[in-house]
Order: sequence, then C-alpha cells, then structure tokens
Amino acid sequence: MFKSIILLLLMVPMGRGYGANDITLTVTQAAQGGVVNDRKVTRTRPLTVGALAFSAPEVVYQRWAPTLARVSKETGLPLTLVPLTPDQLVARVANNELDFIIGNALITVAFKKDYGVSHLLTLVPHTRATPEHAIGSALIAKKDFNINSLNDLKQLRVISTDPNAFGGFQIIAAEMVEQGIAPLSDLKQLDFVGFPQDKLLNYIIEDRADVAILPSCVLESAINRATISANKLHVLLPQLHSNFQCQVSSKLYPSYAFSKLGHTDHRIATQVVRALLAIEAGDNEAISGRYQYWSAPVQDNHVFALLEHLDRWPFVTNWQRLVADLTPWAMLTGLVLLLGYLHHLRVKRLVVKRTQALSDEMAQHKNTQKALFEQQKQFYKAQRVLLTGEMASGIAHELNQPLAGIRYLTQGCIYRLGDGHDELKSALTKTIQQVDRAQSTIKRFRQFCHQPSVLQDCDLQELIQDTLNLMQPDFNRMKLQPQLRLMSLSVCIDVSLMQQVLVNLLRNALDAMETIDRPQLAVLICQTEQAAHIAITDNGTGLSEASLQRLFFPFETSKVHGLGLGMVVCKRIIEEHGGKIRAMNNRELNSSDAPWATPHPRGVTILVTLPLKANTDV
Amino acid sequence: MCKLYLVDDDQDVLDSLSWMLDGLGLQTHSFRSGEAFLAQVDLQQPGIAILDIQMPSIDGMELLDRITSTHSPIAVIMLTGHGTINMAVQSIQKGALDFLEKPVDGDKLHNLIKLAEHNTASCYAQRAQQASVSERIDSLTPRERQVMYKVLEGKLNKVIANELDIAQRTIELHRQKVMQKMQVSNIAELAYLMAKSDADIKIPRPSPK
Repeated sequence: MFKSIILLLLMVPMGRGYGANDITLTVTQAAQGGVVNDRKVTRTRPLTVGALAFSAPEVVYQRWAPTLARVSKETGLPLTLVPLTPDQLVARVANNELDFIIGNALITVAFKKDYGVSHLLTLVPHTRATPEHAIGSALIAKKDFNINSLNDLKQLRVISTDPNAFGGFQIIAAEMVEQGIAPLSDLKQLDFVGFPQDKLLNYIIEDRADVAILPSCVLESAINRATISANKLHVLLPQLHSNFQCQVSSKLYPSYAFSKLGHTDHRIATQVVRALLAIEAGDNEAISGRYQYWSAPVQDNHVFALLEHLDRWPFVTNWQRLVADLTPWAMLTGLVLLLGYLHHLRVKRLVVKRTQALSDEMAQHKNTQKALFEQQKQFYKAQRVLLTGEMASGIAHELNQPLAGIRYLTQGCIYRLGDGHDELKSALTKTIQQVDRAQSTIKRFRQFCHQPSVLQDCDLQELIQDTLNLMQPDFNRMKLQPQLRLMSLSVCIDVSLMQQVLVNLLRNALDAMETIDRPQLAVLICQTEQAAHIAITDNGTGLSEASLQRLFFPFETSKVHGLGLGMVVCKRIIEEHGGKIRAMNNRELNSSDAPWATPHPRGVTILVTLPLKANTDV
Repeated sequence: MCKLYLVDDDQDVLDSLSWMLDGLGLQTHSFRSGEAFLAQVDLQQPGIAILDIQMPSIDGMELLDRITSTHSPIAVIMLTGHGTINMAVQSIQKGALDFLEKPVDGDKLHNLIKLAEHNTASCYAQRAQQASVSERIDSLTPRERQVMYKVLEGKLNKVIANELDIAQRTIELHRQKVMQKMQVSNIAELAYLMAKSDADIKIPRPSPK
C-alpha cells in the first residue's frame, strides 16, 4: 500500500499516463468500480468524468476518486469516474458520452481544437511549480556521458516509455522537430520499453541504453526515495527554470486540466468548478490527488505550438478522426456521385430509347414513302407499257388503213387484168405479199405490246381513294378538294389498268381546269341493277362537238405535248372489262343521264359503266 | 345480185375496197358513217353490209345491233383494223356472218360475199315465205285453224269430230277449206309448208275453246 502511494505521488507531476495496453481490463474495471455514488442524487443520469490513463487505470481511479466524491457530495450531482486510454477518451469525446475530462495539457488543447472542449481549471501540482510551468522532459544519462545537442541522439541508444507519453516523449520530440530532427525515423536506436518509469533509470545504469527520455522530476524523486544513488546519473542539456526544482532538458508546460464538453450544462459545470476550487492544499482529496489545489486556467499558447510541431508527425495526425469526420461527407459525395451516375445512366438509357423510337419512326416514314414511291413507279411503268401498247395500236391502225387501201387496189388491179398479163399479175401478187408482210409485222408488234389483263375483285371506292392519294400533289397544286360521293362497291377488274383509266380521266379533268378560277371536281359512284357507274365531272373548258366526236380516237389531242392516247387507252381498257365509257359536255347533261349532277354551264362529265359481274368472255 | 354496202369512215379505204370489188364485178354502195347507212338503206331488202368497227359516233358494233334489231335479212360482215377475240365473239353472237381483219384478201372476201348473198337471199325468201304462210294462216277461221292443227297431229276425221264434238261431215268441209286457203293439195304438203315456216307460227296453238 505504501509503495503504491509513493508511486502515485511520483505520477502527479508527470501528468501524462502510460499507454492503454489492456483496454478490456480498463473498461471492465471502470464498469465495476468506476461509480462514485451519492445517495442524495436527484439526477437520473450520472455525469461522467473521463480521466486520462496510460497504463494503470486503477491507479488513476484511486487518484481522482476522492476528489470527485467530494465534488459529488458538495453539489449533489452523481458523478461517474471512468479512467480511459487516449484512444478510448477520443472515442467517448467524439460520441459525446462524457461530461467532463481530466487530462494533460496536450490532450486538452487537442480536444479544444477538435471537439470544442472548454478548459475550466488547471491543476496546481504538488511540487512547488507554477501551474503554467509544471512539466517538462529530461534526458537522463550516466554521469560521465554527455552530449552537445539533440542531434547527437541520432547515433545513441535512446529509450522512452511510450510514444504517447507527454513528458516522457512528446515534449522532447517536439523540440527535436523544432531542430529539424524527425524523432521516429532519425533516431535509429529509439526504443519504447514501457512503464514503470524507474525501469528506464535501471536500463541506463545497467548500460542497456545510453539515454532515457523521462518526464521532469523522475530522477529527483528516485534519488529522494534513494532507489538510485545521486551521483550515478545526470540530466543532459539541462535548462534552467526559475521556480522549478527539477532539472529539465526542455521547455515547461502546464499541468493537468479539468475541462467540460460542449454539451455539458454550464450551471452544472459552475457547480462542479466551485466544488473543485473549494479544495485546498493539504485536504485529503488533494493529497490523494497529488496536487495542491485547482486554479483558473492558465495560458497554453506554447502547448498549441507543441501540438503544431507534433502534428507534423504522421502518427499524431488524427487520421481516425479525420476519417470519421470525412466519412459522412465522403458517403454524401459518394451518394451524390452515385445518384449523378444513376441519373446519367437513366438519361443515357432515355436517349437510347428516344433515339430508337425516332429512328423507328424515321424508318417507318421512309418505308411509307418508299411504298408510295414504289406505287408511283409501278403506276408509271404500267402507264408506259400501256401507252406503248396503245401507241403501237394507234400506229398499227394508222398504217393499217393505207396498207389496206394498197392491198385492195392491187388486188383490184389483178382482178381487172384478166388472162395474159402474167408478169404484171406476179408483180402485183408480190406487192400483196409485201403488204401482208408489213401487216404481220404490225400485228406482231401490237401483240407484243399488249398487256393481258388480270381480273380480280376490288372495291371501287378504295381504288378511287388510292388513285386520289396518288395524285394528291396535283390536287394540292391546284388547291382543289374533290367532292366525293363514293360508296363501297365490289367489281371484278384489273386494278392497275383501271387505275390508269382513273388517272387519265382525272388528269384530263385537271388539265381542263388549269385556267379556271375556282376549279371543282366531283367523283361519284352509283350502282344500278347490272352495272357500276363512275362519273367524273369537272368545270373546265369543256369540249367542242368535233373533239367530243373523236375523243376516243388515237392521236387526237388538244394538248400541246399530248400523245392523244389517254382516252383511247381508257376506252380500250373499259371495253376490255365489258364496260362503256362516254363523255359529254355538262350543258348537254340532262337529268336522265346524271340525276346527281347539278347543271353546270361548263366542263365535261365522263361516265364509266362497268358490269357488276364479270361477263367478259376473255 | 343483191346490193353490197360498204361502211367505213376512211374514204380512201372505202374507195380502194370498192375498186377491188368492182374488179370482181361486184357493184358496191359506200357510206362514210353509220348514220348515212341507216338513212339511205332499206333494211328489209336483201343486201350485204361490210362494216368497219372503228368509226366515230355510231360504230360498227352498234350499227350491227341496229340492223339485227329490225329482223333485217341483210347479211353483215364485220371488218376491223385490229380486232380482239372479245369483239369477234360479240359480233358473231349479235348475228354477224363473219368477223374479218383488214385488209381482207379479195378472194376470201369474194367467197364470203357469195355465201352472204345466198344467206341474205334465203333469209329474204324465208321471211317472204313466212310472211305468205302467216298471211294464209291469218285467212283461216279459228275453227279451220283448230281443225288444221288436229289434222297436222295426224288425227283421223272421226277422232277430230269426236274431240270437237261436231259432225264428221263438218270436219271434212273445214278440212277442204284449209287445203284451199293454205294452197296445198294434200296433208304432206301442208305439213312441209308449216315445218319450213317460222317457229312463231308453228308453236302457238289457238286454244280448243
């Protein structure tokens, strides 16, 4: 028991603890015995005080427990004391699980910076030091061993307790950094041997190491206790500090601090602070806490500077906290990026879909256009063939007449010659043969050009609609909307031939109306018992009596560039279908011919009659 | 020799055809249109018409229709520059003698004209005969006509008398009158005359009552 008290006394000025190498033990002990319970508590949740502990949580607990018990008693607040390793402390502070902290100057300042912890009180150490200058580092070596600067440490066997120890390592480490030495990499033989601190003194005496880094006053207290003899060891690079009784190799820093967390109620904090300030030097609580009393917070600028130096070391950089802090942002950024990417994917997909739809539509449009074009091509091809055929017919007819004349005349000559003109007769017979030859040529030519018709059932109305669609551009050009009085009527016809007829008739009508102001065109289907009738009426220039007479004769045309075959083609086709075609001027149209027609002074009506049952004997 | 009519809208063709037929010793009458033909020709007289099909206004087919619709004895030969099978069939159906392509060989046409001549003559004769027979039949009283049909059915006077419920003697008198009016000397002659004459006269029988 005595020994442990000594140890505790030694620990007071050293401030900084000894590394939490057994977290489980710490937590367990904290949970088992870490509650200072006041019977008069009014609060349901006890206030939690975290105390920094490096190696021996139970020691730390024993050190602060009486102090807190007194505070609890005086304020009536339930307080729980939890000794924590630096890592645990950081975790608890980050999660706001603590209300107050007792820690060394460095960690207090670090929390101030990172978590908005408020420094309430500074401990006035048990020694005769001031609270501002309470702790430093001492480099300890054998009496006969000396160095000139910190640089010399690079080649020496250096030992320390723990890299996190404040006085034991970090203060001197900061001074090394200040002189451009990176302690962890430049000190080739640096070794952390752990607690207790006296062990390090023995290492030096036993020549297992050249230099030991220890908090100030460790050597003095060991000599005081007579654990080692006064002349064996000394402090290297000693710096003189007034009002500080131990030799140190570094600057001095403030002692332990009592802080509150940001969320802790200021009234509670005030109560606690008042109770702590009431503790006086010599009180039992102060003796077991190894201090004189608590003072108002002292200046800690130089701790900030220290922190800054130490921050250059990778191991001090609070990566964990940084990561913890950044994680939500990183996640948010990730989420935003993910959402952005998803949006991008969606947009891309939409673009692909729309593009597909568009190209489909275009393809469809193209197909329609192609179909129409194809239809037109077919039509013109059919028309060409028909016209060729009809032209052949026309030429054949025109040639046939004179040929017939020649043949008749020649044969008449033969008949008149009588007997005895054999030479003439033979010549004339040869003439006839030549005529016959020409004739057969014409006949073969005509047969070659003649297209046999293919009859099929077809709806007249559909045929007329199709034909009108085919000619739509012409109607558009004339700004003409044909008046239709159609009915569905099935007839047996050659569709392509009948379309030729309709196109010819409609085109004639349009041509006749070319110079008319307000062109009107009517197409009508009606049905009688045996026949289907189609009437196409225009209000064009009409026809003279002579043209009407010879309308259906080949090469008769009123058009400048016309062939004069259109109507011939129509007539032949209609007759081939067993039907009839008639043309008449509207003014001669009487109601018996066309009961539907409104009498009109101008224009022509073409009447086409088709048998309802195919009675063509072809 | 009956009359030979040519109808064609082409004057040159008309003239040359006429000239050729003239060379064969055939007299022709030319017409430039269907209307002219119809206006100038007596359709009830025998004759031969050679018609072009392609003509303005009344074309050959229509002219054929007009001719046949009057029960004319005129024989019609269709002549066309370019005929179709359809046209040919229609022509024959409508009663044309033949359907020829222009230009037709003179000899072939000559033969056809001879046939047509015979046809129109016999047709005319038949029409005349029919007319005469129906005239004679018309001169019969209803009873005489009744008796005549019974006789032609091969019935004996006794049977006829029984059927008509009159005296056999009366039947004999009627029968004598029929022979006299029909200008025949015996039953066989009567039967031959009736058979030769048109079906119109032969088939419908006056009712017994």
